[in-house]
Parts: sequence; C-alpha cells; structure tokens
Amino acid sequence: MIKVELKKRLGSFFLDAELSDEDFICLTGKNGSGKTTLLNLIGGILAPDDGYVMLNSKQITNLPIEQRHVSVVTPDSCIPHLDVDRHLVWGAMNKRLHIERDYIAEVKTGLGINFSGKVSKLSLGMRERLAIATSLISNPELMLIDEALSNIDNHPDFIDAFKNLAAKTRIDVIFTTQYPDDSIQSDHHYRLESGKSVRIF
Amino acid sequence: MNWLKLISTFSLALLIVPVFLLIYEGFGPLSEPIGYSYEVFRAIELTLISSAISAAISVAVFTPLAYYLARNKNSLGETLSAIPASIPHPIIGVAILVIVSPLTPFGRFLLSIGINFFNTYLGLITALTIVSAPIYINSMQLFFQSMNVAHENYALGLGASKFRTFVSVALPNSGRGILSASLISMSRAMSEFGSISIVAYYVLQQPFYGVSPAPVLIFQYYTYYGLGAAVTASAVMILVSIAMMIILRLVNHDNSK
Repeated sequence: MIKVELKKRLGSFFLDAELSDEDFICLTGKNGSGKTTLLNLIGGILAPDDGYVMLNSKQITNLPIEQRHVSVVTPDSCIPHLDVDRHLVWGAMNKRLHIERDYIAEVKTGLGINFSGKVSKLSLGMRERLAIATSLISNPELMLIDEALSNIDNHPDFIDAFKNLAAKTRIDVIFTTQYPDDSIQSDHHYRLESGKSVRIF
Repeated sequence: MNWLKLISTFSLALLIVPVFLLIYEGFGPLSEPIGYSYEVFRAIELTLISSAISAAISVAVFTPLAYYLARNKNSLGETLSAIPASIPHPIIGVAILVIVSPLTPFGRFLLSIGINFFNTYLGLITALTIVSAPIYINSMQLFFQSMNVAHENYALGLGASKFRTFVSVALPNSGRGILSASLISMSRAMSEFGSISIVAYYVLQQPFYGVSPAPVLIFQYYTYYGLGAAVTASAVMILVSIAMMIILRLVNHDNSK
C-alpha cells in the first residue's frame, strides 16, 4: 500500500500530487505533467518541499534511497559491466536474500530473459526487461517503472507477466507509460495534469 | 574572415611559440653537451617515477573524495580541496618541512619513528601529491558529474550502500576517466618546482642518491652553467612532457568515442 501527498516546485512547475492505492498502478499524463518528478520524489531521488510518502504504513519520506525498499527503473537502469546472470541476482545479493533458482528461472521465463552476455552490449528493450527482472528478484516493497516498458516488444504480454509476478510476491508497482491503453491492464489508474493528480479508477 | 579561428590561432601561438623556440635553441644554437648528460636523464627518470607514484597515490586516496564532491553539494569541501593549488607552492614545501621540523614536538616524534620528508622520496612524493591532487580531484569530479546517475540510483534502489554503489557501479565505468585525470595529475607533478626545491632539492636515498628532480636540476644548470645548459636540458625535458601530452590526448580521444 502506497500513500503519498507531495508538493514540489521546480522552476515554474509545481507538483501537488496525491496517491493512495496498492497493487498495479498506472500513471499517465502528457510530457511535462510531472510523472517522473512524482516517481523521483517517491523513490527518494528528489526531496519534497512538503508532504509525505507512506509505504505499507511506514513513513519513508526522509529515508535515503537505499533504505526505502523502493526500486526505481528507468530506460537507463542497469549495471552495464555485469553479465546478465550476475545482474539478475545483484540486488538480492546486496540484501543478502536467499533466492530459489526456480524463482529466478520463473522470472526469466516470464519476462523473456532468454539472452545472455554483457549488459552494456544488450539492446535497450533487453536491458529494460533485465532491469525489471533484477528489481523483482531483489524483492522491494514498491517498484517505480518510469517509461521503462516502452522499448519492450509485445509489451502488453510483458505487462501481464510482470503484473502476475509482482502480485505473487506482493510487490506494489507504479508505472508510467506513453500508451493510454496500458492502463487497462492496471488495477488503478491516475492521470497527472499540470502537476495535479487525478484518480481515474 | 573567420575571426574566431584567427584569435584562437593567435592565442595558441602565444602558448606554443616560446616552447618551440626553446626546443629549437636547446637542440640548435644554444646546445650544450652537459644538457644531454647522464645526470639530466637520471633527473628526468626520477621526475617521471616520482610523478607517476604521486599520480597513483592520488587515484588511490582521492578518487572517493572526487566522487563524494560530484554527488553532494559541498562548497566547503570543494574549496578546501583546491587550497594546495591556489597558494604559492614554496609555501607547500615550507609546510611539509614544518611537519617534520625538530623544532616542533610533532616533528621530533615523526623523526624519532623514522619519518623524514627532507631530501627523501617520501618528501618528494608527498610534495608532488599535494600540489597535483587538486587537479586530479577536479578532473575526476567533472568526470563523475558527467556520468549517467541512473545506473547509481538503480543500484541504490536495489539496496546497495552508497559506498558499494561507488565501488561496484561508478568505479568499473570510470577507467578512462581515471586514466585521463591521473595523466593530467602526473603532468602537473612533472612540472612542479616550487615545493620540491625546498623539500627535495635532491634525494639522499638509493637508487637516486644525489639526483635532483628535473625542474630543480634545470634551475641548478641555469645558475651554475648559464643559459645554454639550462635551455638544452629544458628541451630534453619538454620532449618528454610532449610525449606525455600526446598519450593524454590519445586517451581523451578514445574516451570521447
């Protein structure tokens, strides 16, 4: 369960957003509406001017990124010098989690990680699949996916598989997308309009 | 007429003409055999080795500081790290000597446990590191600032500590930047005179016993033998420095690909 009320001024732009939901949440809005700013505030990359972030009833507003149990995935998210198999378990190793091989295989199959090699040599779509898979395996409480689905082919199928895996491990997800149709696959849909959040369902 | 090109060419000539003139005079009209002596090459060897060691120390000791300054707004830290580069370098030399002065209790203590900076490798390399490290820190800070922080934010979100993110994510992608910055730092150390003329006028330890660093030796030649010997030794030193600069440019060229 994620509950936020956040205010942030960046130059002439003012974000004043509220969100309170769980499971698979879609966030849409035009370019410059504040989607990335909102995710960066929730993820701890930006500090809010005012407001709070509650995750599963815990106040995380002022925690550093690494202590939030929130994983932010963007199209640039990866650790380029690793190979695919080491990358997949890198986050879990940081958290000293014991991950069953079967679960790793299930994530790889579900998210279409049927490639190997050095991460820096992968295509953008492959890196996005890998970044999301790595994040899932590291078992955060919340995943923030910022435009990191758009380069994945067959992405409606990918979203379905991702949603099922996240639900299985009880990870909440907020994802932004350029495609309004993606919201049909989500449990909740919010739209940002000039920095103000509107709950669609 | 391309005025920008014309002005740039003129300003470049202002920098380069005296150097090429010195090379021409050093190997031509003002050439003196002592300028090619074994002593000169030993001095250049000492300068190259001590500068390389000081650059390696800068990499080992100051890379985390450069990263920290790149990722955190810290005006005080930036100002403090630039101080050695912004004060006259003979003052650095005096400061290093004060640390091991028998006139102070701390100096007597250091001397009693065998730590001495005066005319030693330790003093020479310490002086070179202090004067060149600010340039290394500044170069690496700019390099880290130019890196895509999305990789690091992703690693932090995966639960990595800031130190682990530095070691496991930022550093493995910084090889070229470190090489480039350390070569700049080494070039700066090679040209140092002010501090080492006080701390290590010559080294009184093997294998360079009695050898002066090249900038100091050139000054000695100027005062003992006159302009010709100093110019010839300088020309040899400049050729070595140009070789260093070419390496640096090649590294930067590869880096920008």
